[in-house]
Amino acid sequence: MGIKGSRELVQNVLQAGMCIGCGACVELCPYFRHYKGRTLQVFPCDLESGRCFAFCPKIEVDLDALSRRLRGCAYEGLDLGVYRSIRAARAGAALPKASFQGGGTVSALMAFALGSGVTDAAVLTDREGAWPLPRIVTDAQDVLACASSKFTAAPTLQALNRAVRLGHQRLGMVGTPCQVTAAAQMKGGLASQEDFRDPVALTVGLFCNWALDPRALNAFLGERVDLDRVTGMDIPPPPAEVLVVRLGEESREISLQEVRPLIPETCRLCPDLTSEWADLSVGMFEGRPGWNTLIVRTDRGGDLVRAAEEAGYLELEPMPEENTAHLAEAGRTKKERAFRTALRENAVNRENGCSVLRLPAEVVDRLT
Amino acid sequence: MTPNPLKRVLMLGNEAIARGALEGGISYATGYPGNPSSEILETLFKWSDAHDVAVEWSVNEIVALEAAAAFAFSGRRAVVTMKQNGLNVAADFLTTVSLDELPGGLLVVVCDDPGPLTSSNEQDSRHFARIAQIPLLEPSTPQEAKDMAVYGLEISQRFGLPCMLRAVSRLSHGRGPVSLGPVASKGPQPRFDRDRPKVGLPFLVTRNHARLLRLREEIRAEFEASPWNGYTGPEGVSTLVVASGLSATYGLEAIQTLDLGDRVGLLKLGTTWPLPRERILERVGRADTVCFLEEVDPFVEEGVKVVCAENGDRAGRIRFLGKNDGFVAGPDGPGVGEMNTDTALSALGRLFDPAPVQGEPLPEDLLARARDLLVPRELSFCQGCPHRASFYALKTALELDGRDGFLVGDIGCYGMAAGTTGFQQIKALHCMGSGMGNACGFSRLKEFGFDQPVVAVAGDSTFFHAGLPALANAVHHNADAVFVILDNAVTAMTGFQVNPATPAAVSHGKRELRIENAARGLGAEAVVLDPVADVNAAVEAVLQAVETGGVHVLVFRHGCATFFQKRADRSARPRVWVDAETCLGDQCGCNRFCSRILSCPAILFDPETGVARIDEQVCTGCGLCVQVCPREAILLERSEDGNP
Repeated sequence: MGIKGSRELVQNVLQAGMCIGCGACVELCPYFRHYKGRTLQVFPCDLESGRCFAFCPKIEVDLDALSRRLRGCAYEGLDLGVYRSIRAARAGAALPKASFQGGGTVSALMAFALGSGVTDAAVLTDREGAWPLPRIVTDAQDVLACASSKFTAAPTLQALNRAVRLGHQRLGMVGTPCQVTAAAQMKGGLASQEDFRDPVALTVGLFCNWALDPRALNAFLGERVDLDRVTGMDIPPPPAEVLVVRLGEESREISLQEVRPLIPETCRLCPDLTSEWADLSVGMFEGRPGWNTLIVRTDRGGDLVRAAEEAGYLELEPMPEENTAHLAEAGRTKKERAFRTALRENAVNRENGCSVLRLPAEVVDRLT
Repeated sequence: MTPNPLKRVLMLGNEAIARGALEGGISYATGYPGNPSSEILETLFKWSDAHDVAVEWSVNEIVALEAAAAFAFSGRRAVVTMKQNGLNVAADFLTTVSLDELPGGLLVVVCDDPGPLTSSNEQDSRHFARIAQIPLLEPSTPQEAKDMAVYGLEISQRFGLPCMLRAVSRLSHGRGPVSLGPVASKGPQPRFDRDRPKVGLPFLVTRNHARLLRLREEIRAEFEASPWNGYTGPEGVSTLVVASGLSATYGLEAIQTLDLGDRVGLLKLGTTWPLPRERILERVGRADTVCFLEEVDPFVEEGVKVVCAENGDRAGRIRFLGKNDGFVAGPDGPGVGEMNTDTALSALGRLFDPAPVQGEPLPEDLLARARDLLVPRELSFCQGCPHRASFYALKTALELDGRDGFLVGDIGCYGMAAGTTGFQQIKALHCMGSGMGNACGFSRLKEFGFDQPVVAVAGDSTFFHAGLPALANAVHHNADAVFVILDNAVTAMTGFQVNPATPAAVSHGKRELRIENAARGLGAEAVVLDPVADVNAAVEAVLQAVETGGVHVLVFRHGCATFFQKRADRSARPRVWVDAETCLGDQCGCNRFCSRILSCPAILFDPETGVARIDEQVCTGCGLCVQVCPREAILLERSEDGNP
């Protein structure tokens, strides 16, 4: 299929309800904008091919090509992607305490990377009420303000594109699997850019089963709480089955049953639970509050983890095998569901027109 | 310069009407600008000092007519000018002042725009003369236009009711020789007689109406002998063309071109309400085929048919050919578009079998050369036009909002925003202030589940012309409405006339009214922004307005670029240029955003260098492109004295 332009992107992603609003196409050009949870093309563009299409994690994502370029091997549909090691982790004593979702591992990694000069800026996601707010952070102190999950899709990569334009050359970013996939596709640049140099020095990916549509969530919450007072959200581990909305000192519990309809359709086609294209992936450690699961996937990810541990930013422990197995099962379940859905909706390996995903046929066969 | 009286000069039809009003002894001229009528008042402004005539652009047509009537109430003569749309605005007063007994003279000049070049309809204004039962004059040449203006003022005062003079765009804007006459004196000291007859009280209306109908018959009797009506052609021919106004000249040309001078007669009518019944019967009664040429509606055609039906014994059996039966039709059909010689030729050519020979058509190479002279040019806002920034901001805001919002507009240069230059944003466009009234209804539509944001745009002049009542209505009804007033300080589209929003320095001391003050006085929220200076601030303001309830007035204020650049010192313009090192051209990914999307006549894509270029001869230095270039490759340098 190859890299097409914004016409195909608008038709197959934006108008088809496939856009997750990651921001990868925003601030590359004057055409795409993101406003309150929705990505749109303001003015028409007729270029035959563009970065908007190339970077989008919802169209023509060639998993095999990504795997060969980033991991040096074919895409096999591994449950948790290619990785070096899995550890239990939490923030060390060197990081000030903050309102972390789990063990503060992500904040610790980003703060250390900034402080140690591995990165010159971090692209993170803050919140403004119930709206996610992408931010470019250059001071390690400001990392903590962005701690904790937003549970919504967020245009974080808009800030990445802006940071590149502002001249940052060693960016760190934290993102969900879709955002990390887009960032991974950016690493290829475009054929037309001969002098392309990857400006991203570190990607920390989050575990994600789904995110909520921010417009739908705001409308939903707006009927239940004062949106201006929202300070945070949490989904405690099962069997709680609730979304906790924090309003300063108070909180409101909302049944997940009510919240699930706010999951965008596009999440059902996502095969990635653990941000397989990141340098490091971080998620919950089920059954051990205050700790995270940390997956090391690349050399530079491993180097950073070692240095952060030495500097007292990170505490590491071995990951029990049964936890790894449980996570792998969850990873496989998400893949199988996504590939089955993609097959049913003719969204994988299409011969004519745009696919959402491309990957070796035998992997699809094996997992469906 | 005042034309030397008693000379023969070449004049625009509208200048001739102005001259006629002057010769007719007016003390006062009012109007509201609108093509094709605007030059009449523009001309009178030039002569006002030398001839002691008070001239004003009024806030709208009905105010113009009411103001002019005050002179007629007080024994003086006045002229009021407008285009066909304007007559609708003035019609309420026109149809009551005709019941009055005017001691002075009141000439109502209406210039119609058939096959409209610049109008939102192609209405035939002549119907209003019949509705108001006032005499109607239709000139066919600039000379007649001048003479009829003099005569119109004279019969108006003699019969004590307004007289209407109807021109069409080709007469208003065509030139012809005009023999000038002396300028009449203005009459005695103006004085309003407090004992003059009362009008308007319901119990007096029938009496005054009956008087008006009696006057109509007296005027008809005068028109029977009028030199404005006349027959051309041989006696004893059975084919008659009845034509009024400028269409009479098309008819004569067609008769000559087809060499039908010995087979067809032409009855030219210059006084078309009330129709000269006897003059018509005299000619129509001798014909068996009658063909009508007039612009736009079959007004004379139907009037003549009524005359014949009422006098069947004298009219005899006639084959009528006109618009109602579709015989006289331009390329867009009968009763549609301009009358012209081609349409007249087509109609007269089909009267005879075999068809008369029309002569040689123009050689194709000549036509091709003429076509080559036309420069293809997109309909576009001028370089530096503030509307470009305004509609860029409005489109961006409505797209970001994402609820299928749209604009409703009214009449002004910004009406072009229905097309590409304004990003196709205006979706309804009807008459002065119409968008603001529409917005009141869209607000009430929310009670029925309507959920699209609506922004009404109006201009500074249309705001004062017709927007104020809609704004009062919106506030009064607690509407959720967003009004964006595009205040460029002049009535630009019709030729930069002054209006209440015009700075006093430009209007020579007239008092400037601030739109935001009027809005706040009526209880609306009002903010003033300059989208040219900060387009993103305008986007934010529109978003905020459409997201919150209540009545919001956003005044987008930036002077008309073409008007103010003409007056400004050229060296004071900010300089804008493209840094060819920074602009990546087609490597940028912006897909030539500045030249392709903004469609500014000053921004080019230079195929030789492969980067954008600013035509500095044309650029006004507005700086919109500087704000939207994603590479910040367009630079602006203000002159040292800090041009605003």
